[in-house]
Amino acid sequence: MSSHNDQQDIWPEQPPSRKEMSRRQFLTYTLGGATAFMGAGTILPMVRFVVDPILHKKGAGDFIKVAEISKITEEPQEFTFELKQKDGWYDSTATLTAWIRKDAKGDIYALSPICKHLGCTVGWNNNKAHPDEYHCPCHGARYTKLGKNLEVAPKPLDQYKTKFDNGWVLLGDIVPNTVASEEA
Amino acid sequence: MFKNIYNWIDERLDVTPIWRDVADHEVPEHVNPAHHFSAFVYCFGGLTFFITVIQILSGMFLTMYYVPDIINAYASVEYLQSSVAFGQIVRGMHHWGASLVIVMMFLHTMRVFFTGSYKAPREMNWVVGMLIFFVMLGLGLTGYLLPWDNKAYFATKVTLEIANSVPVMGPVLKELMQGGTIVGAETLTRFFALHVFFLPAVLLSLLVGHFIMIRRQGISGPL
Amino acid sequence: MAHGNNSKEKVVYVGDTRVRKGNGFITPPDYSAYPGKSEAFIPNFLLKEWMVGVVVLVGILVLTISEPAPLGFPANASATVIPIPDWYFLFLYQYLKLPYASGDYIVLGTLGVTGVAFGALLLAPFLDTGRERRFYRRPIASSLMFLSLAAIVYLTNTAWTEYKHEMAETGQIPEDVQREEKAAENRAKGLPTSSAVKAKEVAIIDKDDPAMGLFKQATCISCHAADLKGAGGPSLRGVGDTHDKEAILTIIKEGQGQMPKMYDTALGAGLSDQDIDALADWLAKQKSEQ
Repeated sequence: MSSHNDQQDIWPEQPPSRKEMSRRQFLTYTLGGATAFMGAGTILPMVRFVVDPILHKKGAGDFIKVAEISKITEEPQEFTFELKQKDGWYDSTATLTAWIRKDAKGDIYALSPICKHLGCTVGWNNNKAHPDEYHCPCHGARYTKLGKNLEVAPKPLDQYKTKFDNGWVLLGDIVPNTVASEEA
Repeated sequence: MFKNIYNWIDERLDVTPIWRDVADHEVPEHVNPAHHFSAFVYCFGGLTFFITVIQILSGMFLTMYYVPDIINAYASVEYLQSSVAFGQIVRGMHHWGASLVIVMMFLHTMRVFFTGSYKAPREMNWVVGMLIFFVMLGLGLTGYLLPWDNKAYFATKVTLEIANSVPVMGPVLKELMQGGTIVGAETLTRFFALHVFFLPAVLLSLLVGHFIMIRRQGISGPL
Repeated sequence: MAHGNNSKEKVVYVGDTRVRKGNGFITPPDYSAYPGKSEAFIPNFLLKEWMVGVVVLVGILVLTISEPAPLGFPANASATVIPIPDWYFLFLYQYLKLPYASGDYIVLGTLGVTGVAFGALLLAPFLDTGRERRFYRRPIASSLMFLSLAAIVYLTNTAWTEYKHEMAETGQIPEDVQREEKAAENRAKGLPTSSAVKAKEVAIIDKDDPAMGLFKQATCISCHAADLKGAGGPSLRGVGDTHDKEAILTIIKEGQGQMPKMYDTALGAGLSDQDIDALADWLAKQKSEQ
């Protein structure tokens, strides 16, 4: 109701008889109410329409079965999996790759092979000059087993969120690396 | 607070006379339905404007989802109508509103015609009003193609054939409108540009002229 | 012009309701001073207009909720659809079918009669210059308008009747109705309800070929991605459409554009010449259509 009050504020003092003022005021309030109703009736559906994306439940819980836990070794292995993406009216399938290994304690983690330098795809042990390292053929960026950046790249390799279920490794969203800092 | 801000602006721009002129001008008895019920015929102009406002707003919101492209146009319209909350209502407002604007404008034009309100000194306002009518028809025509379904596609083909039949200019006109030799991707982007930028710009300028002239010349007197 | 040729003639405003010019704001005459004669635009008169506006708005909302805006199937140049314009163009649509407005006389139809009618409407004030405003005292203008209205109603009605008749005769159902029924059917079955045309993806040919492994081993996937869709480099799906085996081998050996020479890299990754040959062979088979 504030809008009517504003309107009243800026109305200069008018001295006519009290009866006339109150009639005018009543009409003004009614007009304000009608205007507010029309504005709301028009705008609210459109606002709801346009904020729809933020009211959708995010696919945060989307984990995809990628590999059997029994097959994971201390040597990183490459696994590819498909992620169905729904982007409005556009459905697509993104093929993602993860390098999965378990460390000495048996903790399993999965690294994203997207080079943190310029977004090429890194590979494990694919350069004879640098054994047992992730190497990016584009500009020679190198990473350790844990994804720690050794050369060229500014940041360690990203990780997938992992979950374990019924003997399977499930991978979720890509998050910044948390294991690389453990390396002395 | 608001009063102070208003006063500050008013001191510099002297805006009070402008809106007081709009707000306080006296409306004569013969257009007031409280005195003569038949005066309701004077409401159609205002309703046309109200629905035009709805059209502009809903159109702006629709472009948040719509893509003017032959592959995605249909998919995006279908998506916004069936998958987005209130999409059916917003697209419905724009679709049915388009028809309603024509109805209201038609009734308004008939009122002006039969009350002889287009006569001196209001000739220019009639001409501007008719131009608004033509622009609205143009908006209807260009908007019809945008969902890119079969009905839209074939109706547009017919329209362009009609343009083609104009002597001398026809073939050039047709190719200019369809942006190539077939009704396709380039026709759609052209119609989209006309529908959301060119024609609305023309419409708004004409509306401003229409309203200024109404205020300058007042409502035509009683019969 | 409407005022005759004397430009000095004073323009008479009929029923002048303008606010008089003055110094600053003039308090408009209180509407109560002229009981029943006139009233202020805001709030009195606008409120009446808004009352009608509220009714109209509720009407629109009810309509949008009960009747979704129609949408047919995606445009397809080979579909058989009776092209029907929006209802307010129906009279023109029907008019252009008339014998003297089509065929040899199409120019008369599109420009002649239509042009004259709309032109006359546009210039009505300059054609009907009399001072009389009541329609029953303006027989020519009024009867022309009544005649046009009758023609519009008649043509619109004929167009719609003929359209309905043609639909019934050819057994067609309007596409928007078909689409809605199809969508409702699919929804009941839990299938996707969309009628949109999905872009077809080019598939990888011979996925099980050992060359797929070589592709990975030779580090091609760094830029062309494991699914061949491309990342830093271009997509290789359907690459066989534009490149034969020789061309592919040349690109591997000599590079192209941004791509460096990859031959030695491949050898360094443990591929043999034969492997590279097999790889190029496999890539050349990647055609978008079988």
